[in-house]
Amino acid sequence: MENATIIQSLDPELMGPIVSRRDAIARGASASSKVIAALALGSVPIALGALARDVYAQTPADVLDVLRFALTLEYLEADFYTRGVAATGLIPAEDRTVFTQIRDHENAHVTALQALITGKGATPGAKPAFDFTAKGNVAGFNFGSTQYTTFTILAQAFEDTGVRAYKGQAPRLMGDKAILTAALTIHSVEARHASEVRRLRGKKGWITGNSRDDLPAFTQGIYNGEDNVTQGGVDISSLGTGNGGTAGVTEAFDEPLTKDQVLAIVTPFLA
Amino acid sequence: MATERKQIVVSESPQLWEKSTRRDFMRLMGIGGAIVFAPSILASCSDNDDLTGPNTGDTVTIDFAKGDVAVLQFAYALEQLEADFYTRVAAAFASSGLSAAEQTVMADIKNHEVIHREFLKTALGTTNGFALTPVYPGVDFNNRTSVLNTAKTFEDLGVAAYNGAAQYLTTAANLTVAGKIVSVEARHAAAIRDLLAPKTAQFSPTAFDDAFSPQKVAGLAQGFIVDKLAFAGTIPTFVQGPNNNG
Repeated sequence: MENATIIQSLDPELMGPIVSRRDAIARGASASSKVIAALALGSVPIALGALARDVYAQTPADVLDVLRFALTLEYLEADFYTRGVAATGLIPAEDRTVFTQIRDHENAHVTALQALITGKGATPGAKPAFDFTAKGNVAGFNFGSTQYTTFTILAQAFEDTGVRAYKGQAPRLMGDKAILTAALTIHSVEARHASEVRRLRGKKGWITGNSRDDLPAFTQGIYNGEDNVTQGGVDISSLGTGNGGTAGVTEAFDEPLTKDQVLAIVTPFLA
Repeated sequence: MATERKQIVVSESPQLWEKSTRRDFMRLMGIGGAIVFAPSILASCSDNDDLTGPNTGDTVTIDFAKGDVAVLQFAYALEQLEADFYTRVAAAFASSGLSAAEQTVMADIKNHEVIHREFLKTALGTTNGFALTPVYPGVDFNNRTSVLNTAKTFEDLGVAAYNGAAQYLTTAANLTVAGKIVSVEARHAAAIRDLLAPKTAQFSPTAFDDAFSPQKVAGLAQGFIVDKLAFAGTIPTFVQGPNNNG
């Protein structure tokens, strides 16, 4: 196995701009991250727009597009858990702490993303209307008191999707360290949610192969490609020997999804 | 400069891929209370039979002048620590007090961490690879709570480390690989926390995970590593995450 692929030689022509941009990014970003910290505490600084514009990288349109895309996903999750936690008799008492925590996190993510978009001088989109039957794919689902299993299935679907969605967008944020780091700290929280929800359902916290497990067939797109065993351009399936086999190799790496792939997954949930 | 490094590395510790510069080495020795000139004394520095506590062994320097390679080396250091820890946990399953279900979780995590380690070892190759010696002061592998709390520490640290180091990567491919690993570490962290405090809010105590600077991570990891972790080169100013604690 060759080691060339992951450690790609750095293009000297790229290094100049990267290094020179670094100072500008770092200057603005230390202030910007304070803004994000303030948001986490619930305050909304007025000066956010000016600060965020300071850390514009080479692709501000990309950054804004990612933020808007992420906000849509967070709206979906926040609305789902808000309705779930509010529904009478849906979530058993012993599981309410978990889903209340996830609801609170998704609402915090919505608030943070809205503020980051505002900080880019743009206006965050309003929360869309959602159809949690997914155009009839989850027939009759309405957060009813007998539908807890379906609720947890959808929760797993949304969390596993969220992890892959953020991961796929991370490279588009490379020019803006503050926003990249903020997005990654949300990304890993979505992974914690996914693990917890899967475990509540009696599943492993991680994804084996491309298995959707007991989820309905229309969710398969959430798991397609998770059976990948090529990392950094190298087939690493042999590393599974004695370490869980191919299953272990696929579990050890979560895979990204493109924006289009994610949109195909979530579009049925948009009313 | 490069020649100086190689002289020290090769002569003192073949398994380590790089030493600090001679000046750094002498400075470190000065901090340690000994000014060293004699080759015989230098040789004793790589004798881990005598130096087994944290931060007592050879210096492993991660040079940020290497760019993305330095970040991957840093990740490799952490994955070595995790893989070694879970391998020891698995070896002590019989006396660990972990339930069968818990052992299944820990065995899975062991597999993942060993695969992460071996993947990074392959990616870095012999030129940039190195072997660390972990140590676990205060950890009782025959005690369930001790094992799980240590696992929690390592997984949370791994998440914060990858989240914080991502900003130093300059190629999308490397960022994606780091992203593929960090979310699995986060899944581990939640699972371990769920074993310790089932169905509480502990699986993810905050809405935003931590993002720690390499220096902060190294300081926290050092307590479990015999080798002395050191950095060289310029580490660009760390851009904080939402928790502003890195």
